Amino acid sequence: MAAQTDKARRGLHIRWTDIFVNLLLLAIGLLIALPVFIAIFTSFKLPTQIVTFPPTVFPKEWTYENYITAWNINPFGRFLLNSTIQSGIITLGQVLFSVMAAYAFAVLEFPGRNALFYLVIGSLMIPFELVFIPNYQLISALGWGDTYMGLTAPFLVSAFGVFLLRQFFLTVPKDFHDAARIDGCGNWRYLWTVLVPLSKGSIGAFAIFAFLSAWNQYLWPLIITSSVDMRTLQIGIRYFMSTLDRGADWGPVMAGAVIAILPALAVFLIAQKQLVRGIAMTGLKG
Amino acid sequence: MTGDRKSSCWRKAGTNVIFLSELTMSQSTLEEPLGARQPVKTQSNWTRRIWPTLEGYLYLAPTLLGLLIFVFIPIITSFRLSLNRIAPFGNQMRFVGLDNYVDLLTSADYWDSVRVTLIFVLGTVPTGIALAVALAILLSYPLGRMAWFYRALIFVPVIISSAVTGVLFRWLYHPVVGYLNYWLVQLGLAESMQQAPNWLGSKEWALLAVIIATTWRQLGFNVIVALAGVQNIDETFYDAAKVDGAGIWQRIRHITLPLLSPTLFFLLIINIIYSFQAFGEIHILTQGGPGRATTTLVYNIFNTAFVGTPQRGIASAQAYMLAIMVILMSFINYATANRRVHYQ
Repeated sequence: MAAQTDKARRGLHIRWTDIFVNLLLLAIGLLIALPVFIAIFTSFKLPTQIVTFPPTVFPKEWTYENYITAWNINPFGRFLLNSTIQSGIITLGQVLFSVMAAYAFAVLEFPGRNALFYLVIGSLMIPFELVFIPNYQLISALGWGDTYMGLTAPFLVSAFGVFLLRQFFLTVPKDFHDAARIDGCGNWRYLWTVLVPLSKGSIGAFAIFAFLSAWNQYLWPLIITSSVDMRTLQIGIRYFMSTLDRGADWGPVMAGAVIAILPALAVFLIAQKQLVRGIAMTGLKG
Repeated sequence: MTGDRKSSCWRKAGTNVIFLSELTMSQSTLEEPLGARQPVKTQSNWTRRIWPTLEGYLYLAPTLLGLLIFVFIPIITSFRLSLNRIAPFGNQMRFVGLDNYVDLLTSADYWDSVRVTLIFVLGTVPTGIALAVALAILLSYPLGRMAWFYRALIFVPVIISSAVTGVLFRWLYHPVVGYLNYWLVQLGLAESMQQAPNWLGSKEWALLAVIIATTWRQLGFNVIVALAGVQNIDETFYDAAKVDGAGIWQRIRHITLPLLSPTLFFLLIINIIYSFQAFGEIHILTQGGPGRATTTLVYNIFNTAFVGTPQRGIASAQAYMLAIMVILMSFINYATANRRVHYQ
């Protein structure tokens, strides 16, 4: 009886809390996403509307003029291509090599395995700031400055990926491997026809990380590219924005920012679940 | 290896029962010296020892090679660099021992960037974590179908790059037509646009401006981790507390927060590391200025190594000092990782 009245009272009570929490989250959510919305709306405003006071969030008239201007002033097509090639190569390299190394650490048995694993994990602790000057000098000495090789070479392998995928490979019963071996299935084939299909989820989550962190890279592309034609989107926007002081408009700059956000946003909306689960599981950004 | 056997591994996982029976069979035959299926003689040293080792190293080769070239050797190169200095004329490096380190520790500019970095870390980390936990608790409320929508809005900074963050906030901070100052005036927090903070142009506000932008970008990640922590807490704790008549605040205070402490500790360490390394926003928003108001340690390294006359020796010494702090943080993080997992 007592429980029932309690439940009934709570039912009514919760409805108000429901509304309150929902409204609160909506307000906070919009506030957090606001800088992104403002960028999107600003990019669709007429140049005259952008610098009016007081500033308005929504465009009075929608125009895609800024995108055309941005595209004409800057080789955004080229930036987009560069970013895609750079992130694509890095993602491919990291996934392929991490799968291989994770397989060796999780499944194969050979002397020195554990020591090497600790070495790989240990490298996760080394901040990029410690190694980026020697890396810059090496890449320059190799003549790879301002090339795709230079943009991608230091990031083709990922200790984080090795760690993440090894964790997953360890959960696959070892019997699968033994049985496959007895059946005459070599390691290479077992890896790609049995283990990788079984680990699609984890590999996918890691690929998303690898892609996003490569796409968003800043410091390295900034120092290693020198010609306009080799800039990635992130660096392209930075230089585009620095022309603002010389009288350029904010509209095209915002259009450029939106172009840089869109691919990452698409990945986020399509693969939100994997991305979130990946971050939550490992607590690491790629 | 006959063709028949090769094709059998395409059968994949579903048939593992058959595999297992085969496994036990062949193992037992192996134990008999003259087993019919697998003659022991063919188990040469090559198949038993050398090939498996070699194979293991072949799988590891790309990763080890990459880490060797781009991480392990540079650790040493970097240290060697830090013991040298470029001679005033020409490009010759000159060995100077620990002079670079001594100079740093006695340089007012260096200590100023230590101070800026500490303020930056203190400004971004506690606020970021507190916001993340509050949002995670709100998001753990049963929201039904709307949950994904709120999450998408709140998680979205996680995909925004430091460069784009810089661009977005430079627009928000615009001194004449900026949204932020306009809203501050509307809310009565500033008297007029003229008297509102000159976010990026004044020494007093620039560091705060950079802190706000960085906190924003980190928030998505922090909420995701905090939410995972909140959702990991066993429901029965709350049920028990409800039976005992604990209200919502008491439940947060005495159940959520204590049980979340491993997550909080993890967030603390990882956020300190990220804050130490923040670069993109600063480079786009203030370029370390005005004056040296936003020149953090990382920004200082970049400045020394790549702006004006590159002084890579001194920059490497700075990098080493920073790295020691970051490595220490990482070490604490790894050392406590196990405790974190088994806390509840």
